[in-house]
Amino acid sequence: MKFSLIKITYLLLSFLLIPVLSILNPIWFSLMGVQPYWPIFWLLPWSILNGPLNGLIIGFIIGIILDSLNNDIYTQIPGLLICGFWFGQIGELRDRYQYGLIASIGTLICGLIYFSQLLVNNYPNNPYWLLPFGLKNVFGQILLTGLFAPFFSKLLYELFGNNVKHNLFKK
Amino acid sequence: MLNNRRITTARWWNNKKLWFLMIFLLLITFLRFSKSLIYRDIYYFISKPLWPGQFQREILLKSYDKELNIKLKQLEKDNLRLRSLLSLKKTTDKLKIDSSVISRNTGSWWRKIILNKGARNGVNVGDAVVGPGGLIGLIEDVSGFTSSVKLLTSSESKVGAWVQRINTHGLLIGVGNDLPMLVFYSKDIDIKVGDVILSSPASTLLPPNIPIGIIESINLDSDPNTIANVQLLANPQAIDWVQILKSKI
Repeated sequence: MKFSLIKITYLLLSFLLIPVLSILNPIWFSLMGVQPYWPIFWLLPWSILNGPLNGLIIGFIIGIILDSLNNDIYTQIPGLLICGFWFGQIGELRDRYQYGLIASIGTLICGLIYFSQLLVNNYPNNPYWLLPFGLKNVFGQILLTGLFAPFFSKLLYELFGNNVKHNLFKK
Repeated sequence: MLNNRRITTARWWNNKKLWFLMIFLLLITFLRFSKSLIYRDIYYFISKPLWPGQFQREILLKSYDKELNIKLKQLEKDNLRLRSLLSLKKTTDKLKIDSSVISRNTGSWWRKIILNKGARNGVNVGDAVVGPGGLIGLIEDVSGFTSSVKLLTSSESKVGAWVQRINTHGLLIGVGNDLPMLVFYSKDIDIKVGDVILSSPASTLLPPNIPIGIIESINLDSDPNTIANVQLLANPQAIDWVQILKSKI
């Protein structure tokens, strides 16, 4: 992946959207109050283009940023590390809708890891009451991330990739 | 014929004076033993147009309100003094900060809202946040210009609550949905659907007696404690303006 000034601008601006959207929680993307898992949209094309090691590093960085935003005892880093590494090993995706499938599986991994932390932390209090809440969040995020990934991740892939013309508005 | 008329006229019941005398005596006896009730009833009807009117009634009601207000102020002072002796939380009207919601996350893992007032406005971690209706959460962390509120519906939220009708404490635990769970410390609790929940007067985390919600349903089968679901009075999903209650010990 060669870096030009315009590509770096795309990268930075789209990267900044991850924490912004995580805080903003735009209601028009939500389902029953659940939002898509925003970091996956960015991590997927980045890791596909730059390989597992870069995916791992960026997954770690995004995890740190999101953990600092949410400021609780649970962490999103393990899920994003696994996703970053795994996405890096997939290689190029031919079909647009494969982005949706891969993003959904990545969201499932991240969601289950986060939910398991909640369960373990509340284990002494018999946390059966967390199950409906956790399952709703996990499956809500899977559905929404899978729905939007073919558009967002594919768009970012083209913006980050070598085969894109840097000025999208110029014919 | 003449003889008969004489005899008839001589009977005592034909004596009108005697009848008058008897009736008079009966009336006197009735009045004596009725303890002048009839006089008072007559006085009631005669004096009715002259009674104190609406104006005087309002004066009396205002006086009564003033008396109650004085008592209330006195009780508030006593309450604050006693709470300070016990080192419990207290708030006054001077320590309220109006703030607007600039980010809302009420449906996913992290149930919190972000407010547009922060450390520069004097907001501290642990301050209570109330919306229209009642308590919605506590300040979780503060930046210079913003503060983050952990909602009562968050799975990380645990606050003491007080059931007003039966004067009983419970622990209000967020379970990630819109109905937090109220756990009581014992099984035999006379709780009913519709009971009002307030912040605990003995809490060291929250100011006392802030309305929180009402009991929506009760799970009597739960062991070993009675558990109830609480419908919050303030709906965080629809609130744009809140008040931060700065608490001090």
